[in-house]
This record gives sequence, structure tokens and C-alpha cells, in this order.
Amino acid sequence: MDYVLHILVMMLIYSILSVSLDLAVGHTGLVSLAHASFYGVGAYASAILCGLMGFSFWVGISAGIVVAALMSVGLSIMSLRLSEDYFAIGTFSFGLVVSSVLTNWLSVTRGPFGIPGVPPPIIFGWTVRSQVGYLVAGATVLAMAVIVVRHFSSHQFGRVIHCIREDEVLAQSFGKNTLSFKVTVFALGACFAAVAGSLYAHYISFVDPTSFSINESILILSIVIVGGPASRFGPIIGAILLVGVPEVLRFAGLPFSVAADLRQILYGGVLVGIVLFRPQGIAGNYEFRR
Amino acid sequence: MSIGVQLVANGIVAGSAYSLLGISFGLIYSTARFFHFAYGGIYTAAAYAAYLTFVVLHLPFGLSLALAVTCAACLGVLCQTMVYQPLRRRGSGPASLLVASLGLFVVMQSVVSLGFGDATRVLRSGGLGSVAVFGALITPIQIAVIVTNLVMCAVVWLAVQFTRIGRATRAVADDVELSRIAGVNVERVIVIVFAVGSALAAVAAILASLDTDMRPTMGFEALLMGVVAAVIGGTGSIPGAFVGGMFLGLAQQIGVWRLPTAWQDAIAFCLLILCLIFRPQGVFGLPLRRTRI
Repeated sequence: MDYVLHILVMMLIYSILSVSLDLAVGHTGLVSLAHASFYGVGAYASAILCGLMGFSFWVGISAGIVVAALMSVGLSIMSLRLSEDYFAIGTFSFGLVVSSVLTNWLSVTRGPFGIPGVPPPIIFGWTVRSQVGYLVAGATVLAMAVIVVRHFSSHQFGRVIHCIREDEVLAQSFGKNTLSFKVTVFALGACFAAVAGSLYAHYISFVDPTSFSINESILILSIVIVGGPASRFGPIIGAILLVGVPEVLRFAGLPFSVAADLRQILYGGVLVGIVLFRPQGIAGNYEFRR
Repeated sequence: MSIGVQLVANGIVAGSAYSLLGISFGLIYSTARFFHFAYGGIYTAAAYAAYLTFVVLHLPFGLSLALAVTCAACLGVLCQTMVYQPLRRRGSGPASLLVASLGLFVVMQSVVSLGFGDATRVLRSGGLGSVAVFGALITPIQIAVIVTNLVMCAVVWLAVQFTRIGRATRAVADDVELSRIAGVNVERVIVIVFAVGSALAAVAAILASLDTDMRPTMGFEALLMGVVAAVIGGTGSIPGAFVGGMFLGLAQQIGVWRLPTAWQDAIAFCLLILCLIFRPQGVFGLPLRRTRI
């Protein structure tokens, strides 16, 4: 039962990540490979401030949000001069720099040793210890993410970012400052990724750089593409599938390294298959053809 | 003083390898117009194909080299014909192609790791003496690495400049529609570029695994250095990728003078980010076409 609950919590965390990334990837057409960096910044902020320095839960999570937002603004200003795949390469190298800093800045992040002993959070006087508590917290954040993404992808703001996705020059010709829209979209995604990171740090109570590597960014992007970019439930369905299905391999009695490789082959194969045969993803209706 | 000379020598060894990676990656990028991440998977596959034929099956070195290069070229052609070509025919843009090639990369790397395990493997047996050149210690293998890489870079540049297929490649890189109108078989040119680029990746992979050792993750590193060298130099420019690779190798090795070795990768990506911010077309590249109406 604990195991099932654990999988559910991880599905929730990945759903928060993919829903928040979808605002950039699906709705604005910006392929980002830096989402795990913001996730990592949130996790490390909580681990350092709450685990090592003894601050409260709210200090850790707010610091993570602020730092991730600032970093995302810096990153998206870089996109001013870049388009499409060059933007993906820019975010890719940004993700690599962040994971290199997490691994090598020993005096702050303790490098590959990671930071153990992140305490359980105390939210409004209620100490979250059980997995059910994390389920509730995760579901609340996910609901907020879904509402925020829904809000920003409809109304006037949503029409503008959809226009940027289809034809950025057209959006500019309507007098829209497309850069400020992109910055907003990116910062929103980064904030939710940081919250997901903070939840992860408290839940696992240990962080190390391998959880926030570039592979993690590729996984989050795959979840969005496989589930269905710019669709209502696509990213959540993607997270349930890509987090849940590989767990089945665990019961096949394979050695750990073989199972890990098979899981990677599954991710990669599914990603290629979806892009080739179903560009709108499993649950989507918008064909991703950037 | 001698530390400086040694670092420059290391920089040239690394830089010549990066130049070849940058040139082959840039060749594919400039013709196919997307970031072919599976390049890294092909690189790994080539190194392990050489390992399988040379160390496990005890074939002669020349034969195993030829087999590994052929295997890489076939993988490159398969990626293009099975995945990229159908995608492009359906009108997918560079970002979808990039996502698909990420998937291919993950599959290739994991298949190698499944087949050979994660442990480090060595291609050559026994140690090698080193010789002193201008006060820097270099192994004979490293000299071979520098010479082969330089020769390969020169051959590719000459081929692209002066042969018929080279001209067709430049035409496709410049404008796909115009070259199609002029009677160039674009699909064929792209397939050939994938075959040649992947074969060059195989050469680079085998040289690197002779110099040091091999791991299933080696392709990722090579891919990154290829991307950085190609982008710094200016994609589509062969001299640019050459200079970019050399510069990257020297910058990394000289950076080690002041910073711990672990920061080498960070140096490379910071260079890339700076380049993307201030000169996205690279040192030798033409301005990027940002949009097309």
C-alpha cells in the first residue's frame, strides 16, 4: 500500500511539472529543456534552508520560487534573439550549467553527496508526515497549476500566446510585446516547478544532483509530448503513463541496471513513436509540429 | 611554464577532437536544419561496435574500424529514412525533429548500456610511453588523434568545397527550395550527409576510445562538445567549426589551470550561452534567418 501511495505522490509531482511546462511547450511553442533545473532549484532551496539551516517550510518554498522565477526571466530574455530549435539548445545548455553547479559547488550543495534530513513541512500548524498528507498537498498544488495554466491559456492572454506559437511575427504586428508574454509564461512554469521541487525535497527528505539532471528535463518534456501538448488533461495522463508503466518492470524480477536501461528504452521509443505517429499526443487535439 | 605548455598541448588534443565533432555535427545541422541529438547515440554505438569486433571477436584492427564506421553510417541513414524523412514530409518543424532525435538518442545509449553494461571498457591493451614535444608530454596515440582529426577536417572541407556532391550539400544548406528547382535531389543529398556525418562521428569515437576509454555515456559528452563547437564557430561553416572546436578545447584545458577539472563542462556551456546571447550566428556564420513570412 505504501508503494502504491508512493507512486501516486510521484505521479502528482510529475503532473505538476508537466502541466507547468505545457504552458511554454504546448501553448506558446517554446521547447524547453531546462524544466528540471527549476525543479532542482526549488528542491535545493528547501533542502538547504529547511534541512541545513532550520528555517520554516514557507521560507524554503518562497526562496525556491523567487530564485527559479529570477533564473527563468534571465533565461527567457536570452530567447529574445533565438528562435525555435536554437531556443531549445539555449535551455539545454542552461540545464547543463545548473546541474553542473549542483554537482560541483560543494560548499553550498554538498555536490554528489546530496543533502539528507530535510524535515517534514509544517503547513498551518499541521505537520505533514504521512504519504496521504503529501497526496493532499500535491493534489492542491496540481489543482492550482491546472487553474493557473487554464487561466493563462484562455482569455486574451491565451489568444496572444497561441498566436505567438503559430506566428510570432503576426503577434508582433498586432503590437504585442511578445517577449514579455514569453517571460511571463516561462516564469509561471518555473514557479510551479520550484514548488514541485520543494514538495519532492520534503517528501523524499533527501536531494542529490542526479534527480535534476538533463535526463529529467528530457523526461518532463516527453511527458508533455506523449500526453498531448496544449490539451486539458494530456500532461497529467502523460505523467500517469510515463511514471506508472515503467514501475511494472520492477515486478518482472530483472536486475536493477537492466530494468533501468529498459525503462530508458521505453521512454525513448514511446517518444519517437508519438512524434512520428500521433503528434497530438495520447489525449491531445493540437498537433505539435514546431 | 611547463604547466602552460602541457595545458596547451592537452588543449590541442581535445580541440582537434572537438573540431571533428563540430564539423560533422555542423554538416548535418546545416543541411538537415535541426539538432540531430541521435548523433551522440551513433557515436557511442560506433565505439562499442569497434570494441565488439576488435576486443571480443579479435578481428584485425583495420577490419573492425571499417565495420564500426559502416555501422555508424547505416545508423545515421536509418535515422534519416525511418524517422526524420517521414516527419519532414508531414511538415514537422525543427523542434519536433529535435524531440524525436532525443528519443532516438536515449534508445541508442540505453541499448548499448544494456548490451555491454555500464562499466568502463578499453579498446587498446597495455600502456603507452609518452614523448616530449616542446616540453609537453604526449602519447603516440594523442599524436595520431591530432593528425587524423586534422586530416579528416581538411578532407571534409575540400570535399564540400570542390566536389559535385559537396556543392549540392552547400546548395541544400543554403536554400532547399532553390536547390530542388535547380534539379538537386535534396533527399539523396541529406541521406549522404547523414551517412558521412555519422561515419566521421565513428572515426572520432574510435580515436577517443583509443586515447582514453569508453562508457555508454560517452556519446552525450561528444554530442555536447560537437554542438558547442559547431554553434560557436557558426553552423554551416566548416572553418568556423574547426576554429570553434580548437578554441573550446584550449579554453577548457586552460580553464583547468584555475578551476577544478569538474568545471570543464560548465566552461563549455557558459561559452555556448554567451555565444547564443551575443553572437547566435557564431564567429564565422552568416546572420540567422529568424523568421520567414
